[in-house]
Order: sequence, then C-alpha cells, then structure tokens
Amino acid sequence: MGNRWNLPDLGLGVGLRTVHFGHILSTWPEVDWFEALSENFMDTGGRPLHVLDQVAERYPVALHGVSLSIGSADPLDRTYLRKLKALATRVRAHWVSDHLCWTGVSGRNVHDLLPMPYTEEALRHTAARVREVSEALERPLVLENPSSYVEFVDSTMTEWEFLSRLAAEADCGLLLDVNNVYVSSFNHGFDPRRYIDAIPPDRVVQYHLAGHTHKGTHIVDTHSDHAIEEVWDLYARSCRRTGSVATLYEWDEDIPEFEVVHREALKARAPREQAVRAAAR
Amino acid sequence: MKGAALARGGVPLSRMQRWMQEVVVHPGGVADAVASRRARAALRGASIEDVVLPSRTLGPAERVGIYQGMYLLRMEEALETDYPALEHYLGDRAFADLVRDYVQAHPSVSYTLNRLGDHLPEFLSRWPGARRPEVAHELARLELALSQVFDAPETRALTEAEIAAVPAEAWARARFVPIAAFRLLAFRHPVNAYLQSVRDEVHDHPSLARKDTYVAVYRRDYSVFRHDLSRPAHDLLADLVAGRPLGKAVAKVIMRGGRRAPTSEQLFRWFREWAAGGVFQRVGF
Repeated sequence: MGNRWNLPDLGLGVGLRTVHFGHILSTWPEVDWFEALSENFMDTGGRPLHVLDQVAERYPVALHGVSLSIGSADPLDRTYLRKLKALATRVRAHWVSDHLCWTGVSGRNVHDLLPMPYTEEALRHTAARVREVSEALERPLVLENPSSYVEFVDSTMTEWEFLSRLAAEADCGLLLDVNNVYVSSFNHGFDPRRYIDAIPPDRVVQYHLAGHTHKGTHIVDTHSDHAIEEVWDLYARSCRRTGSVATLYEWDEDIPEFEVVHREALKARAPREQAVRAAAR
Repeated sequence: MKGAALARGGVPLSRMQRWMQEVVVHPGGVADAVASRRARAALRGASIEDVVLPSRTLGPAERVGIYQGMYLLRMEEALETDYPALEHYLGDRAFADLVRDYVQAHPSVSYTLNRLGDHLPEFLSRWPGARRPEVAHELARLELALSQVFDAPETRALTEAEIAAVPAEAWARARFVPIAAFRLLAFRHPVNAYLQSVRDEVHDHPSLARKDTYVAVYRRDYSVFRHDLSRPAHDLLADLVAGRPLGKAVAKVIMRGGRRAPTSEQLFRWFREWAAGGVFQRVGF
C-alpha cells in the first residue's frame, strides 16, 4: 500500500537538531533520512543553513514547520510561503509538513500549536487555506495532528473526523503523530485506537514518534523521552493499515546523543517490516 | 449570560482565536487572564465554560492555563538563548521579569523566534528593573550583534590576492565594503570582557566600571568572532564601513589622534589584518 501521491517511504529518520550537527558532519551516520524544522533555516545564511545544505547532499530531507498557522483567522503569510518554497527547492525536500493548528491572530505569533474547534466553519476555512498553500508551494501540503489540551464546546466532530474530511476536501497528505494521538486521547478521554482506525491510510505520508511527560492530570507532548509501549502498539496498529511509511523520531528536550535518538527510531523497524509482510500475504 | 453569537450557534472562529490569544499571552495568572477586559471583550459576554469543555481531571480554565503557562516559558527560553550574558548579569528572576514585560511591549510578529529579541536593547534602556540599565543595554546590544552576525547572509570575502591586486596608486581612493556578517560596536563599559567571562564560566567577572571599549563582530567560515579594538582602529573601521576612501579615513584618524595618533604604517597594518580576516567583500574606487 502507498500514499495517493506515490511519495516515497524514506525509511527511519531522525530530526536534524543543532546539538547533533558536529556528530553528523564528522561521522555521516547511517540514518535513512532527516527532517529539518523549516523556520530554523528560512532566515539564516549562517551555519545552520550551511549544515542543512551538506545534509541534503547526502540524505533525503523533508521539511517540517511550526508557523504556517493553517487554521488561523489571519490571512496567510505570503512572505513565509515564498521563503518556505525556496528552502524546499534548495534542499530538494520530499515534502513539506506543518500542523493542524493556529499559532496566532491579529498579526501576532504566540509560537504554540493552538487547538482548532472542530466545526464546519473551521473545516471550510482550513480546507480553503490548505488548497492555497499547496498551490503556492506547488506540492501537496502534509498536515500533522497536534497534541492538544483543550476541547471546544462548539466542536461538532472528532479530531479524526475533521482531519479525514480535511484531507479529502483539501487533497492534502497526513503526518500521523502517534504520540500526539496518545497524548490527546488521555487529555480528552477517547480511545486512541478509534482515532488510528479512522485515518484514511492512503493519505498518510509520514509518521512521527516521540516521548511525552505525564503530569498526572494531563500529558504534555514534550519530545523529551523514549516513546512508551502504548505508543509503539498504536504505531504497529497503524502500520498494518498504511503499510511501510516514512517514520521519524522526534527528540527536542534533554536531547541525548545522536545514537540514542537513532536507536529509538530504529525500533520502528519491526512493526514496519511486519506491516510489509502482512501486505504481501 | 451567553452572547448573541453563542445564541446563534457558537463563537465564530476569529473571535474564539482572539479570545484564546488574549488569555494565553496575559502576563498574570490564568484566572486574571480569563477575567481580563480584553478577553471578556473578545467573548462578548460569554463565559469560558461556554467555549471550553472540562476534562475528567481539569476545568476549562486549567486546560487553557496549560497553554498560558507555556507561553512565557517559551518566550524566556528563546530570549535566554540569544541573551545568555544579559541573563547572567540580571539574574534569573529579573530576567524572567524582563521577558514578561518585554513580550507585552514587543510580542512576536514573525514566523521565527530568532527575531523576538530584536528590540530588547532599546527596551532595556528604559526598563526600570535593571540595576544599571546602561550596562544591561550595552550587553544586549553586543548579544544582538552576535545573533545578527550568526544569521546574516553569507557573502564572499575579498581574498588576499584580490587585495594585493589593488594598484598602489589606487589605495588612497579605495572604498571597502564589509561583509554582511559584520558589526562594529562602541560601548561605555567593558561588556565584551564580561560576556567572555560568562562564556568561560568565570565566577569573578571583570569590573563593569565606566570605560570606553570597541568591538568588531564578524563571521568567518560560519564561526562568529569578537575582536576588541582600540579607539583609532574603531574609528578607521567606522569610516571605512561608512564608505569613506581608505586614504581619507587614515588621514582623519591621524589628525584626530594628534601626537598620540597611530602611524599610517600601523593603520595600514590593521587594515591588512582585517582584510585577511575576511571582513571586506568588495573594493570600489
């Protein structure tokens, strides 16, 4: 099984992080691919971009953003889109992803992935913007399900219904963050398996895996640890539906040595291979 | 009492987002944020319970409070990355107060946090929380220059061969253009020495008593360098950066220095060192 755009399964990747630059440039580790945080490279002519250029010479790269603000009531930022497209072209990004969220209104950016109400109004609004962005970038936009801590009274559908309808109406790809599904399922009290089983498999272009922090009353998506067993189980469940899809491990707080992050990413190998074997039967 | 929009079937997306942003960026606690005039105005009479559902463990305000609590922490994290010496100088508590006040006056309006601190030096010069605002302001100016140089576009520097190819008779009227990743700074306190002591994790910091100091900040091979300069060296570089021909810049420095002025040989030696360091990108006549 593949995705509807035949975007490639890049294998098991790791997020490109500053603390690992020296290790990567000196050892060129045998990692399948890297994901770069778009905003960290869009406005610099210094070392980060120089490193990304070298990485992109040797590895497949995808771009992942946090400031597109696709759900915001503000107009789209055309300067941002122009720079994002230029960066994607420069590093020959296989795809460009961001989050189903908004990051600010009235010209401000609070630099957080703020939650959307899942309403018909929000769906129409977001779908129109996804189409505009895909046109501006000249490639399908890939959207990630965020972790969230708030649910709105006005929501008339679940997040997975919203995401599935958005993908169909705006013809976009999905980056399924399995840890985020788990985090939100705890925070909002739903069964994460329902979420996983409802996502259209041919829309899934990429997976994210990460660790989180349990605060007792809620879980925060901190990307600060190993993924827990339940998250790996959800990943395996989803792989059985989607087949083998590009998968990336994110570690953004208390970042350990590169090998530790890479080993965590490689844990995804078994569920992926099982998914391939199941599909071949 | 619910507002008119709610009676019609919910809060429009734009108003809900304005409300949530007002709550998230409020500098006080979440209860104050929810009760603030601006937040209440955005909801037009509706209450937080009309907008946000409770979870099994948290009420609506506690849930929004998760985002609100993370906002200032994120801003602080971004600014301490760019201003570590300033943070050290002010201390953790004063720095946190500074961030709280600063982002109220200069919230991020960019897709990148890299530019969040661009107004911090200017803001510090009138912020009442610093022991010595003039020192805090200068430290911030130096650290802002470092981050600007770090991110500046890469421009090709003149090679030694290209500089050597300038005909002897043309030197006096040569105008040198610095690379984009170059900043020249003049201070009234030794803030560069202080910054170095913070980087070296030295506990006895140099005195920040009044003393004129001069620093060139530039990037070469993707590394950022800081060079202390003498007053004449600073003045010569300042004139060159302003587009003055080399001959006139040298003459001005000598005239200004009187009997203690550097010799023209000394000035040309400095110039050659800067050029070899990759400070200039172009020469014109």
